[in-house]
Amino acid sequence: MWAGLWASQFTTPPLQCHVTSTLTYENDCKPDENGKKGASRWSHCRKRGADGNLRKSYEVEEPGKCSHSSRRPESFTTPESEGPVSRVKNWGDEVEAEEMRSNVRRDMHRYRRRILEADFPQRDRKISSGSSDSRDSRDSKESPAKGDLETDETTLIRRQKQINYGKNTLAYDRYIKDVPKDMRQPGVHPKTPNKFKKYSRRSWDQQIKLWRVKLHAWDPPAEEGSDLQQIEEIDLGEIMDFELDVECSADTESQCPTSSGASLLETEKFKLKDAT
Amino acid sequence: SNLLLIFLYQVQAHDLVICEKLSNVIVDQSLKDQIFSREAGRICYTIVQAEAKQTNGNVFRRNLLNRLQQEFKAREETRKRSTQEWVCLVSFICNIFDYLKVNNMPMMALVHPVYDCLFRLAQSDALKNEEEVDCLVLQLHRIGDQLEKMNLQLMDELFNLLRDGFLLQEDLSSMGHLLLLEILEFRAGGWTLSETAQKYYYSEVTD
Repeated sequence: MWAGLWASQFTTPPLQCHVTSTLTYENDCKPDENGKKGASRWSHCRKRGADGNLRKSYEVEEPGKCSHSSRRPESFTTPESEGPVSRVKNWGDEVEAEEMRSNVRRDMHRYRRRILEADFPQRDRKISSGSSDSRDSRDSKESPAKGDLETDETTLIRRQKQINYGKNTLAYDRYIKDVPKDMRQPGVHPKTPNKFKKYSRRSWDQQIKLWRVKLHAWDPPAEEGSDLQQIEEIDLGEIMDFELDVECSADTESQCPTSSGASLLETEKFKLKDAT
Repeated sequence: SNLLLIFLYQVQAHDLVICEKLSNVIVDQSLKDQIFSREAGRICYTIVQAEAKQTNGNVFRRNLLNRLQQEFKAREETRKRSTQEWVCLVSFICNIFDYLKVNNMPMMALVHPVYDCLFRLAQSDALKNEEEVDCLVLQLHRIGDQLEKMNLQLMDELFNLLRDGFLLQEDLSSMGHLLLLEILEFRAGGWTLSETAQKYYYSEVTD
C-alpha cells in the first residue's frame, strides 16, 4: 500500500507500485468493500452520496484537477507484473508490452496442448503449420514433464524478446526459405531454443548465442556502403539485454562466411524489406 | 481522402519515416473532420495490419498511439479552444479503441483514457452542450459494452453521473434530456434497445 498522490498523469508514481495495466491505489479516497461509499474521482460532482444523503458541498471542481488521482480501479483480469516498469509510460510501449504478454500466453496454451497431444497421439493428427518456437513436444526425450514448464511471465517475455531479435534478421528469413522444417537436421541446422523449458539464465543465454551464431551461415552477402549497419549497431547496444560477444573463430560449430573476428554486432543485418 | 491515405501508405510502405508522418496526418485530420474521426479507426486498422504483414513491425501503431497520447494529455486545452476539436478527439480515441485490438482483445492501455474522456463529457458543464452529449452517447452506443466488460465499476459510476445529470441538471436542453434518457435505457437493456423503445426514439413523428 502506498500513500502517494498521483495528482496528474504528468507526474510519475513510485516505481514499485507502477504495474503496467492495473493497480488499485489509494489517495485520500479509500475504497471499501462495496466500492461505493468512498469518494470517487467524480463523486464531488454529485449531489448525493451513494447512501442517498445530500452532500454538503456540491461543486464542480475545475476539470484540470479532476485528473488521474483515483482513477485506477482494479482490472478485471488478475493483476500481473512485468517487474520494474520504466517511469515514463507511453501508450506505444504499453500496447507493445500488452501484445507481448498476450502472445506469450497464447504460445503457452498452444504448447501445453501440444504436450498433451503428444501424450495421447492420434493417428490423423495434422501438424499445425503455424510458426512456433516449441515444436519438440513429440520428442519424448526432450519434452518436459508436464509440471516442468517455465511459466514465469517475466522470464518468458525476456526470452521471447531474445528470440524475436534473432528472427527479425535477414539471415533468419533466408534460412527458413532455404530449409523447410521437415528437412532440418538436429545439430546441423539452427533450432530456435524452446522458451518453455526450464533452463538457468546462463544456459538459456548461451543457447541463444549459439543459435544466432549458427544463423549467420545464412547472412546475405556483404554489401558496400551499408551505413544501415552503423545505425543498427547502436540500436542493438541499447535494446539488447544481454551481451553479444561471440567470436566466430572460436566456435567450432559456427560457420562465419564474413571476415573472421568480426563481432556479431557488425555483421548483423536486420531485415528491412525494400531496404535498398 | 480515405483511399488517398491508403494509397500513400502502400506507395511508401518501406519508409519508416512515413509512418510517423502518416500517423500525424491521420490524427490531424481526425481532429478537424467529424466524419473522419468516427471512421479513421478502420483505416488505422488496415495500415497496422499491412505493416505487420509486410515488415513485421508496428512503427505506425506506436507513432499513432504516442501522438494520440499527446493529444489526450492536452484535451482540456483543446476543449477550451474548440468544442468541435474536442469531440473529434474523443470520437477518434474511441474509434481506435474499437478497431485496434491486440490479439483480438481491446487495448488495456486505452481503457482509462477513454473513461476519462467520457467522464469529462458527463460533467455538468459539458452536459449542457448538445454537441458534447451527442458525442458521449455515440461513443457509448459504439463501445459501451466493451468498456463495461473491461471495467464494470467505472461504467456504473459513469451512469450514476448520467442519471444525476438527467434528473437534476437544470440547463439541459430537451434534446440533451432525450439523448440521456435513451442511453440510460440502452444500457439498462443490455446495450440494446427494446423494440418499443426503438420505436419511441427513432420512429418518425406523426401528428
